[in-house]
Amino acid sequence: MIEFINVDKEYNHNVKALDNININIEKGEFVFLVGPSGSGKSTFLKLLIKEEEPTKGKILVNGKDLSKIKPREIPYLRRKIGFVFQDFRLLYDRTVAENIEFALRVIESSEREISIQLRTVLELVRLTGKENFYPNQLSGGEQQRVSLARALATKPPIIIADEPTGNLDPSTAKEIFKTLEEINARGTTIIVVTHAKDIVDSMNKRVIALNNGRIVKDEQRGGY
Amino acid sequence: MTTNVYLIKEGYENLKKHGSKTFSTMLIICATMLITGIFIILLQNVNKNVEVVKYEQGLQAIISDTATDEDIEYMKDQLSKIDGIRDINYINKEMAYKDAEEEFKDMSYFLEGLDKINPFPASFVIRFTDINYADTVKAEVEKIDGITKIKYNSDTINAVISISKIVNIFLLGVGAVMLVVSIFIISNTIKLAVYSNKREIFIMRYIGATNSFIKRPFIIEGAIMGIVSALISFILISIGYMLIYMNVPEVGSSIGVFGVLSYKELWYQVLLIYIVLGLFIGIIGSNISIKKYLKV
Repeated sequence: MIEFINVDKEYNHNVKALDNININIEKGEFVFLVGPSGSGKSTFLKLLIKEEEPTKGKILVNGKDLSKIKPREIPYLRRKIGFVFQDFRLLYDRTVAENIEFALRVIESSEREISIQLRTVLELVRLTGKENFYPNQLSGGEQQRVSLARALATKPPIIIADEPTGNLDPSTAKEIFKTLEEINARGTTIIVVTHAKDIVDSMNKRVIALNNGRIVKDEQRGGY
Repeated sequence: MTTNVYLIKEGYENLKKHGSKTFSTMLIICATMLITGIFIILLQNVNKNVEVVKYEQGLQAIISDTATDEDIEYMKDQLSKIDGIRDINYINKEMAYKDAEEEFKDMSYFLEGLDKINPFPASFVIRFTDINYADTVKAEVEKIDGITKIKYNSDTINAVISISKIVNIFLLGVGAVMLVVSIFIISNTIKLAVYSNKREIFIMRYIGATNSFIKRPFIIEGAIMGIVSALISFILISIGYMLIYMNVPEVGSSIGVFGVLSYKELWYQVLLIYIVLGLFIGIIGSNISIKKYLKV
């Protein structure tokens, strides 16, 4: 599903953000990406959605070589990857339903699809009944669920969550991870960048650790 | 609701979101459009009058007194072969005398005793198809045997041509300045809209919006501003023109020899120019900002 082959990313003056990265993530995997700030996690994600280009090496997503994707095809690559941000990135002047619909409008779904998907994802993240609330009327955990629902609405085969619980208390964080696990159980590949050591340790998933741009650990059923 | 309806709604919401900015933008565009409109109307009036003057331009070829009827037929034939002549009017000596009588009605003593000898020559009154042919037509007519003299007011003709050229250039210049100002104003407003929608645009990009999807609401926003300004300007200028036309009798009839166009002959031109201009300004203006600030 996702393959990094000998990938280097250098920003100016030989500062290597990523150094000879080889990763293969299969369809349906749940992967934690951990490491201190500046270890290359963000760069990894940026390369994955083609926001940045690798200096060296090859990246395959869904079997497609990203270096062969033309700029105008990038939106279609991104539709395969749902993104969840630490700060939720919701539109605060729109209701929960409108925030989720927004994603479906962006990919130009039909009215029918929109109403079906809206109901499906609201149920999935357990927000049914809150569709007409504005984000400010919701708790942090609920807001992150909206963000998750928005990422899921377009049915991407891959979900990337960048510190999804960074702004949440531990018990709420646990719930979010539970939901992510449920989504993963339905076949969606999930990559979570996180500092939540306890959760990583307790979930027994694959853990890839980066430090100074290198992979220092890649364990199935690993810990932080 | 199709995607396009959604995007039009988004564009409209954008307009509402910055209501006061939208209002002031349209106010400025209306002002530039009104100025442009006044100039269009002036231009049309000047051009119309110039056309009339040009249309009436011609020359008078004086025929020798010794020419026979056959000679005159021959001359007519020769004249008909010259390019650039719209019509030829033969004025015989009797008609020339009558014309003179008409002209000197109040000073008939001038003509006393002249009816016996009639010194007025026969002539051809020739009008050009196009004033630009004046010189070549004159040269050709001079060559014909039996034409003794050509009366031709080249100064008037040249003055008319150059005045109309100057007026046209000046008005086009004013129009161009107004166009640039309007495009600048709209692009500035769209820039603001792009900034205030930064969050939406960021999210859209991550979700996988195509560039066209991101751009369209802003282009629609610009186009709406352009069209609405055009319609408001059209209504204002129509009221203005009709009020002047109806309430100032001198304007309604004519100023000296010059006529003023009635609004019936003008309104559709003004409307068409406004709508095209409005759309053009709106779309170009928003595109400039999108290119610059959206990096798409």
